[in-house]
Amino acid sequence: MSERFVIIDGVRTPFCKAGTELASLTADDLGRIAVDALLTRTGLDTALIDEVIFGCVSQPPEVANIARVIALRAGIPESVPAMTVHRSCASGFEAFTTASERLAAGRGSIFVVGGTESMSRQPALFQDITVRKFAELTKSRSTKDKLTALAAFRVADFEPRALVHVAQTDSFSGLSMGETADLLAREDGLTREQQDAFALQSHQRALAAEARLAEEITPVYLGSKPIARDNGPRADASMAALGALKPAFEKYGTVSSGNSAQPTDGAVALLVMSESRAKELGLQPIGALTAYAYTGCDPAHMGLGPVSAIEKVAQQSKLTPADADVVEIHETFAAQVLGVLSRIKPPIPPDKLNVNGGAIALGHPLGATGARLILTSLKELARRKAQRALVSLCVGGGQGSAIWLERI
Amino acid sequence: MPNILRETLEEGIFLLTFDRPDSDTNIFDFDTLSELESHLDAIASPEHHAKGLIITSAKPGVFIAGADLLALRKMNTEEVKTFIQRGQSVFNKLAALPFPTVAAVHGAAFSGGFELCLACDWRVASSAPETTLGLPETKLGLIPAWGGSTRLPRLLSVPKALDVILGAQVLPAAQALRAGLVNEVVPKEHLRLAARRWLERGKYEPGFAHSPAVNAMVDAVIAPGERHEVQQKTHGHFPAIEKALEVVLKGSASWDAADALERERDAIAELIASDTTRQLLNLHFAQERARKFSVPDAPAEVAAIKRTAVIGAGVMGSGIAQWLAAHGLPVILRDLDTTPLAEGMGNIAGLFAAGVRQRTFTEREARAGRDRISPVTTDVPLQRVDLVIEAATENLETKKTIFKRLDELVRPDAILATNTSALSISELAASTRNPRRVVGLHFFNPVHKMQLVEVIVGPETAPEVAQRVVRLMQQIGKLPVLVKNSPGFLVNRILVTYLAEAGALFWNGAEIKDIDAAMREFGMPMGPLRLIDEIGADVALEVSALLANAFPTRLHVPDVLPALQGTGLLGRKVGKGFYKYRRGAEASPNKEVAKLRPPGQLKPPSRDEIEQRLVLLMINEAARCLEERLVSSASEVDLAMVLGTSFAPFRGGPLRYADSIAVTKVAEELTRFSESAGPHYAPCGLLRDMAKSGKRFYED
Repeated sequence: MSERFVIIDGVRTPFCKAGTELASLTADDLGRIAVDALLTRTGLDTALIDEVIFGCVSQPPEVANIARVIALRAGIPESVPAMTVHRSCASGFEAFTTASERLAAGRGSIFVVGGTESMSRQPALFQDITVRKFAELTKSRSTKDKLTALAAFRVADFEPRALVHVAQTDSFSGLSMGETADLLAREDGLTREQQDAFALQSHQRALAAEARLAEEITPVYLGSKPIARDNGPRADASMAALGALKPAFEKYGTVSSGNSAQPTDGAVALLVMSESRAKELGLQPIGALTAYAYTGCDPAHMGLGPVSAIEKVAQQSKLTPADADVVEIHETFAAQVLGVLSRIKPPIPPDKLNVNGGAIALGHPLGATGARLILTSLKELARRKAQRALVSLCVGGGQGSAIWLERI
Repeated sequence: MPNILRETLEEGIFLLTFDRPDSDTNIFDFDTLSELESHLDAIASPEHHAKGLIITSAKPGVFIAGADLLALRKMNTEEVKTFIQRGQSVFNKLAALPFPTVAAVHGAAFSGGFELCLACDWRVASSAPETTLGLPETKLGLIPAWGGSTRLPRLLSVPKALDVILGAQVLPAAQALRAGLVNEVVPKEHLRLAARRWLERGKYEPGFAHSPAVNAMVDAVIAPGERHEVQQKTHGHFPAIEKALEVVLKGSASWDAADALERERDAIAELIASDTTRQLLNLHFAQERARKFSVPDAPAEVAAIKRTAVIGAGVMGSGIAQWLAAHGLPVILRDLDTTPLAEGMGNIAGLFAAGVRQRTFTEREARAGRDRISPVTTDVPLQRVDLVIEAATENLETKKTIFKRLDELVRPDAILATNTSALSISELAASTRNPRRVVGLHFFNPVHKMQLVEVIVGPETAPEVAQRVVRLMQQIGKLPVLVKNSPGFLVNRILVTYLAEAGALFWNGAEIKDIDAAMREFGMPMGPLRLIDEIGADVALEVSALLANAFPTRLHVPDVLPALQGTGLLGRKVGKGFYKYRRGAEASPNKEVAKLRPPGQLKPPSRDEIEQRLVLLMINEAARCLEERLVSSASEVDLAMVLGTSFAPFRGGPLRYADSIAVTKVAEELTRFSESAGPHYAPCGLLRDMAKSGKRFYED
């Protein structure tokens, strides 16, 4: 029986909608803040860390291997290696489970893991044709050739492709994430009202939980303002307000920006290690990893990923949703969560699901979300003095992920 | 043993390496100059068929640091002229060599060291952080007199040369390249290779751009403005700057190089003889001593301080945190709540941004500095921290509570320091379990500008604890002065005595403008009432009350302070106090304040008498501090007053000034005033004794 993989503590930055309060910070700025706050709170001797593993989807080109940059900037000794992982929306999970695999393989026992994303600062790409024209220009030597190359540019060539939209389209199926949600909604006959009601509940629960969520958050100091709250949850959310929004992806679709998760900036950091190291260092864990699974599914129905992942992990661990005291199913779209819920047996009681709100209200910084779900569910288990949490994400490109956690 | 080694690198190419025996630095004295001359003569002789010369240094951190200042200070006018002439003629020889010459600079090259570089055709510098180049002479009351004032304007242009010389600038390699002081910057391993390449360029031909003819025209245009600006900034108190300006203006426009060099010689000889320069040199040496100070009875080698925490993110706390972080130390910054912490972090961000604008750091370095600060609003483990500096509110009970908590959170060998400006270190120490590791670290406001730190020790403070913090202060570019625990420590005690009397003079009828003008005339950067406005009447009241309580026979809280506090005239922070402050306008005396004082006063004292009385009180209190052995030497008292209060540096400090007017006279005048103006003027025991035996504070 291999050593238990435990979580000592976790910290996250506030989650803020893209283009708002955290927009001027880079993904490595955010990651550094979370890691620094975590290390300061736990007082760990950073030389003991075996590796830093961070999830990040957009991976800005000027910060190659963002986990390494975050580690160095957070004052972790340069002798500690670092790696960045990408499993789309489940990158935060991936960082966590990869560390557990390192432990199982005997490749280290103390890790800092997490995820970060700055969706405000996702790069704008040049169109392919524009890139080709620039290449021609660079190759030109004589003045005549240069002028000819310059003359080939048109104004339209300078319109950028926003990565935030590019990245949201699955390259294999050709469907954007929103379109997969609309597909599910049509197939399942999910109404606009059902999705808006779910979205409203997410906002209401997040607002009610503000004080509890504050336990996870470290303030960000920008200029002389402290940014200490998630700014996604809206007190003015209502069925009327949600209902007034136009469909976002299909002309007669039911998926709107109101019942979808918003692009968001944020970072999460977790301190994880083997149970024996925790004992040696006198650190009290808040939870342990029990089991996990990743599965693949139809990219056009990526939203249903959690269904197969939860089934697979049930086969391995004999744990079913009935065994969970707390459940987090990531809310990329209300339609997607509702689609998952209708397929899970036994059904998950509403008072156990996303009890402190979900990504529809709080936002979805792609690389960080998985780590947030782990952190928030463990904090909720502690509050309820309960035993088990099931956390799950659907993954763009057609995957599912599920993790069982237990309280210590 | 020779100071300079000569090698032949290849046929006709020579290398001179400066490597002073038994020293970690290279300086120019008579012997070194002679050695250099004989090498130049030898290389230039026909049988060597010399094609090029490279000059370099073997010292790890220094190229050449200039003339031997200690020796220079002891010379009389004639000796100075001879020494300067010697240097000039040797450098002229270098400049006149018929084959190309290159200075290959790694490490510090300033004053004479940089002037040697200017006498070469070309200059290449290493990119190492130790490499700095420039002409800081005016800061010491001198001018570059080995051709620097003449050659630099012909290389750079007059305005740029003035920036370097009047600004006493010493620049790191990259900036020196941008400023035109060097031709190329390369990694130090490539220095010789680069120098060899530059020889191939041949002799440097000065172009038309900065020729005397052009410079003459430039001078005509800029001279009046420059003279006016210098006058504004120095009020005639810094003759070195005025002289440097004249030498540069005249020298740059003169075709006769010999004439220009003679001006440099005459100017520096005059300056060395002047009191101002002597005092500035004295202060320079006092600063050097503080940089190397070692706590008596403490081990020479002590454990370095690597990780720190600062409690309180107010103006001082955030300033201290920023300075520590900028100098490579991680800092945990603790305050009670996100609001005060955010203000502190904002202050820190502003300081780093200003540093980037002023090119003190690159953006990358500023980011690394900001990254080192971990802001927290709750207790966190402090097991890894070596030093905690408490900079919370000036309240003994609050500090005791904080220290008790810190006692539990830090390691036994960690040091607990307080930035208190007035509370007793011993009393704080006594409230902890381990008083030996408690010390005062009194920084001055603003932290990033004030070099002085008072290191306060009580009888219970362990010498190695004091040594560890002294070493840290030296490491982070501060100048520590070790002071025994006592009310007001050193600087504030003397300062408050002076400010209280200024307040009393005002209350008794003297006008704001007279009091402040008198002290500005004396050489203080601002008058005492203006300073009270800067500090804040409420803060001044609190501190003077504390000190009045400690020294009741001679210090009383001046009535004006509670009056100012009572009417909300707190000073600059609220827009009015003794003066009214308006954006974009000069501060003007506030007529309302005069209404606060009792009417029907006797004729107030003249400006001269005001100046005399206030300065004498400062001297008296400074002498008391020495008498009570708060510090171990007069030099430390003066250094602290100059650095901590900007006490007229050209006067050297209160005790140097006392020597200059004769201690006997000081004691006499104080006695006279004790009869006419109050018993608090009575000279202290030390002054009376010194007056009797005709002693001075300083030997030299």
